[in-house]
Amino acid sequence: MESTNVNQKSTAATAAGQKRDPMMVSLKNVSKTYTGTGVTEALKNVSMDVREGEFLVILGPSGAGKSTLMRCINRLVGPTSGSIIVDGQEVTNRRHALRAVRRKVGMVFQQFNLVKRLSVLMNVLSGRLSYHTFWRSLAYSFDKEDKRIAIECLVRINMDHKAFQRADTLSGGEQQRVAIARALAQQPKVILADEPVASLDPKIARQVLTYLKQIADELGITVLCNLHQVEYAREYAERVVGLSRGELVFDGPSGQLTDDILRQIYYRDSEAGDDDDV
Amino acid sequence: MADPVQAAQEDVFASLVERKKWRLHHIVFLAAGIGFLAWCADGVNLRPRELAGGIPKIVEYFVLMVPPKWGFVEKIWKPAIETIYIAIWGNILASLIGLPLGVLAARNIVRQAPVRFVAKSTLNLFRSISELIWAIFFVAAVGLGPFPGAVALGMNYAGILGRLYAEAMENIDPGPVEALQATGAGRIQVILFAIFPQVLPQFVTYMLYWFEVGVRSATVLGMVGAGGIGFELVTTIKLFEFRETAVTLLVIFGMVTVIDYASTLIRSRMY
Repeated sequence: MESTNVNQKSTAATAAGQKRDPMMVSLKNVSKTYTGTGVTEALKNVSMDVREGEFLVILGPSGAGKSTLMRCINRLVGPTSGSIIVDGQEVTNRRHALRAVRRKVGMVFQQFNLVKRLSVLMNVLSGRLSYHTFWRSLAYSFDKEDKRIAIECLVRINMDHKAFQRADTLSGGEQQRVAIARALAQQPKVILADEPVASLDPKIARQVLTYLKQIADELGITVLCNLHQVEYAREYAERVVGLSRGELVFDGPSGQLTDDILRQIYYRDSEAGDDDDV
Repeated sequence: MADPVQAAQEDVFASLVERKKWRLHHIVFLAAGIGFLAWCADGVNLRPRELAGGIPKIVEYFVLMVPPKWGFVEKIWKPAIETIYIAIWGNILASLIGLPLGVLAARNIVRQAPVRFVAKSTLNLFRSISELIWAIFFVAAVGLGPFPGAVALGMNYAGILGRLYAEAMENIDPGPVEALQATGAGRIQVILFAIFPQVLPQFVTYMLYWFEVGVRSATVLGMVGAGGIGFELVTTIKLFEFRETAVTLLVIFGMVTVIDYASTLIRSRMY
């Protein structure tokens, strides 16, 4: 619940008379237990608040529950208990309300998850689907405004020159940029990036993280980014949340990431944390 | 001290040899397999000697077909084209019926098991009744002609294509589906934009292949009065006009060859 460094932009917005909760994403006592083959407690009583326009890194080893945490925010995974509020709206299971929340929350994945046989532009345009009825989608058609928005998003991540290329002809870094453009095309208030650079080499990884950071700074979109590399967290994050075995063990500015805290996050004394990402 | 790598290697080799050993249950299964095939052979009265003895008779038939009476082409080109119409519309109907049922039968699209069960059972029913039997029903219902033939083909192939479509959709990469769900897209939008683009090449391959098969099938539908070249084929055989039969068979052969060639060409152009 700490918010040590107050973002000036959001204070200004509140001061301008908008009676809005400055917290874009709030988690209260969120727990998730997977049942099935053995019981796994993926999240234990996690609470945190993320301000509008913040670039937050969720740091932790694989299996710490970072992915689950993110998927609870847009209900790709239903939490076992606790409540999540995005932009003042409670995230529920009711389909209509859920779609309204999901539209506000873009997501970027480790494996990019583009539709490989479609063009770059079509992939970005599919971020616009939630604004359309399915009758419209049945004809695979988008209007001029959608196309304008999609191209704008491609320009932002510098991929407009490949708009008509098929997604599977792109390199990994390019695919991830297109995936970011797809998330931007939703015109979201929040972007969840789930290990966005885990399958990219360091140079391309920094490029992608720079784009994500720019999005937070320039567009005021709240970005939550899962990472397992400490050096990237130190380089890019204003605020870091440390997750270890489903528990929130750290919440503060990246400057406060001491070796002690890192040992707590990565529980270096046991062997479990040294596994590479799956 | 023994080299641990070598020790591990020896271990793996030893268990490999162990795995390859014949065991009693292997021999029992093999014997049971051979016994089953022998039993089936008895069931179909497998008598290779009689088949060999019958070869001269078969040759005789073929001799009677020579020389083909080429003038007969004038009479059968229309039914031949009709056969292709039947195959085309049969396949379009099959996809129109099979695709929605296939979507409902796919495990990763429909979560409700009862819905999938109903869809799958319907597909099984359509598939288990051969197009010739469907044709008899539809000829009785709507009268002679190519139309009942096309519908009959459509029903049988809907069962086949629906199942193939469902399996293709079940084997897609789930990542893009999750990505589109996360954007707030609806269920049908996810199917249209994340699932269909992934399976499109397979769909087209299946459609073309079953169109080829459909042309062959449509050549016999005429036997029960469901239009196409089959009527002429059966008639010439019944009237012992083997020189005409030869022409009919050659026309069918030509059609199938051309279609086969064309569909290979289309598939190679598609990626």
